Amino acid sequence: MAREFQRGHKAKVSDLTAGTDLYVGVQIAGPGLTFDISCFGLDANEQLSDDRYFVFFNQPKSPEESIQLLGAQAGDTESFRVTLDRVPASIHKLSFTATIDGAGQMSQIGPGHIRIVAGGEEVVRYAFTGAEFTTERAVMLGDFYLKDVWRFAAVGQGFDGGLDALLKNFGGEVAEEEQPQQQAPAAGAPGFAPPPQAAAPAPSFGAPAPAPQAPAPAPSFGAPAPAPAPAAPQPPQYPQPAAPAPVHAAPTMAAPLAPPAPAPYGQPPQQPSYGQVPGQYPGQVPPPAPAPGGYGQQPSYGQVPGQMPGQVPGQQPGYAPQAAAPAAGLAAALQPYKEAPTGSRWTPQNQQLMRVDLSMGGQAVLARQGSMVLYQGKVDFSYKGAGFAGRIVGNATGQEMQLMRCTGRGQVFLAENGAHLHAIELQGDAICVSAENVLAFDESLQHEVRRIEGHGIPGGALFTMQFQGTGTVIVKTHGVPVVLPVTPTTFADSNAIVAWSAASQVILSSQVRLRRNAYPGHSGETVNLQFRGAPGNFIVVQPYEV
Amino acid sequence: MNAMNQQLAGFAPTPVTARMENHGRSMLKVAMQSGQDLFARTGSMVAYEGFVQYEPNPPAVRQMASQWVTGEGAPLMKCTGDGLLYLADYGADVVVINLNNDSLSVNGTNLLAFDAHLQWGVERVKGLAKFAGQGLFNVEVAGTGWVALTSRGTPIVVDCGRGEDETYVDPDALVAWSPNLKVKGKRSFKASSMLGRGSGEAYQMAFSGQGIVVVQPSEDSTDRLRARG
Repeated sequence: MAREFQRGHKAKVSDLTAGTDLYVGVQIAGPGLTFDISCFGLDANEQLSDDRYFVFFNQPKSPEESIQLLGAQAGDTESFRVTLDRVPASIHKLSFTATIDGAGQMSQIGPGHIRIVAGGEEVVRYAFTGAEFTTERAVMLGDFYLKDVWRFAAVGQGFDGGLDALLKNFGGEVAEEEQPQQQAPAAGAPGFAPPPQAAAPAPSFGAPAPAPQAPAPAPSFGAPAPAPAPAAPQPPQYPQPAAPAPVHAAPTMAAPLAPPAPAPYGQPPQQPSYGQVPGQYPGQVPPPAPAPGGYGQQPSYGQVPGQMPGQVPGQQPGYAPQAAAPAAGLAAALQPYKEAPTGSRWTPQNQQLMRVDLSMGGQAVLARQGSMVLYQGKVDFSYKGAGFAGRIVGNATGQEMQLMRCTGRGQVFLAENGAHLHAIELQGDAICVSAENVLAFDESLQHEVRRIEGHGIPGGALFTMQFQGTGTVIVKTHGVPVVLPVTPTTFADSNAIVAWSAASQVILSSQVRLRRNAYPGHSGETVNLQFRGAPGNFIVVQPYEV
Repeated sequence: MNAMNQQLAGFAPTPVTARMENHGRSMLKVAMQSGQDLFARTGSMVAYEGFVQYEPNPPAVRQMASQWVTGEGAPLMKCTGDGLLYLADYGADVVVINLNNDSLSVNGTNLLAFDAHLQWGVERVKGLAKFAGQGLFNVEVAGTGWVALTSRGTPIVVDCGRGEDETYVDPDALVAWSPNLKVKGKRSFKASSMLGRGSGEAYQMAFSGQGIVVVQPSEDSTDRLRARG
């Protein structure tokens, strides 16, 4: 069962799960913000003594591959695979951090989380929102740390200084001696000690004073922003633009090629240039840097919608875990549930709600009827005349799948019975989705309905829709699905299958169980679908049999 | 016994820091004190510690909400006393709001509890009562104090004032809204279009003005507490 952690909570990993092969997912996003999510492997002194254990996008795994960067996954902005029992003895702590790339501050982020999934099951989640932060530009989200046994702690502690402060905090080789030592305990310790605010639980129910932290925001941020940004000397400090990539292709060669890497953390002079310059990150190629500049203008956006006068989210301190709620006021309480800002055609609002902005892209969307929960703008819904509805008919109950066509300009929010929604973007690929699991899709996709017939399937056939082309399909699942690679022995229950890559071939395999025949009214057959396909194909299965 | 306790330790209540708090996603913990009474949905209590008393058919509710009260009794009970009260609505997400001189209209089905000292009133949403299954009652609460809502799935808050256009909501998915918004029922634009769940429910509520609308990601608006009778 997933446990909900709050800032400062910690537990032995063995209490959470018996496994040591863990998936760590981080979800963090904000209007116009880009994040760099990294994992620092620290030694007993909480220092990054071996920079090969700084796992980030340019160095996606540690030498022995105990820490691997997996990239964005459904529901997570970034994810890692951590095999705790293979982490070398010199590493005592794995700290997962997020830093804002470019301008912005942590108070602007929407609801996010760090979670651990083991054996396909989420075992712990620490959810946070922008309301817990103020002007921080980097935040340590959670740690695995070795204290007799591996433990996990939800940290949620930020640094105003951004990545450079973070690196300094961890930087074992930073030339200026004092700071690392001073900061390390300050940063490391509180993570495991009860968080400062929580230690003094607000006694009353009135307005839990936002005062203590309120003054903090102003000074730290604004000032350093524009000034150091143009720092000229910075390109030479990133001498190895492409170098790290080949390194990972040949892990054993890592050592000889690595030397350029330490430079960035080691050299104090670069610090001023960090943080504010968009896109900057050690080892990153300079060109992309200027790009996000325009986003920087937006930071105020997140605060605008529905903001009641007098409520500035930044004022809410990271009070208790439920900070958002106790902070007085309607707007504050609802802040975590704010609509995610526009920016792309399909935007997940949370796990269960998807927003499509019809103004972007211009083409129509076909959605399951009744899935619209809200819309704004001039949107037309029609189902007749689309020449479509009639064709997707039938399944077990003879229930029809009816689609509506949404056209016009505006935003439509789609959801259905709290099912989890996943946006699958196709770029010339093809995917088959069980018709019951289709929520919506771009009209630009070619789609056709297929029947998979079989005796055991209720209603006589399984209806699937094959999508091909360029566009997005929204698939709904009950619960968190599993994505399996297609191997010679991949089977799925026809009732639980959600989708599969269209290149894999489906074979029906019925297993007749004689025992079951005894039950009147039960056919006794369970129908499994077997999949065959080249490596790289996959299937998606939900934990729910329709 | 000890081992068992340890495994369950993560679910122990956290220290009280506010009048109302979430315990997990879907349970509400209320710190009760005498003199600070609470109205809660009848049947929503799942546990309590201390000395809490329940008045299932409080006269105040009968007065305020005579049309809401059916033969089964009022949908709200009054809770008084000292202790910790745990409320839940069949696993729905609980959202705790500390009103600070704000006001909010809440769909009756999605209201879990609120401080008795808040100003409140019940009204039927004009023109819409028939369309949304239960007959849509909403409770308007205002003042300074605590309110807890339920939502089937993580809710979303949408700002109405952003566009010039109205915001249209499936009544089954509506949780709450700012009372100053103008509300009207709306039949779908084309006779041929069918929206909403199933057939025939081609109605939306149109909101206009400055304010917010809270929507749940589900068209399940059944009142489970009510259905239990």
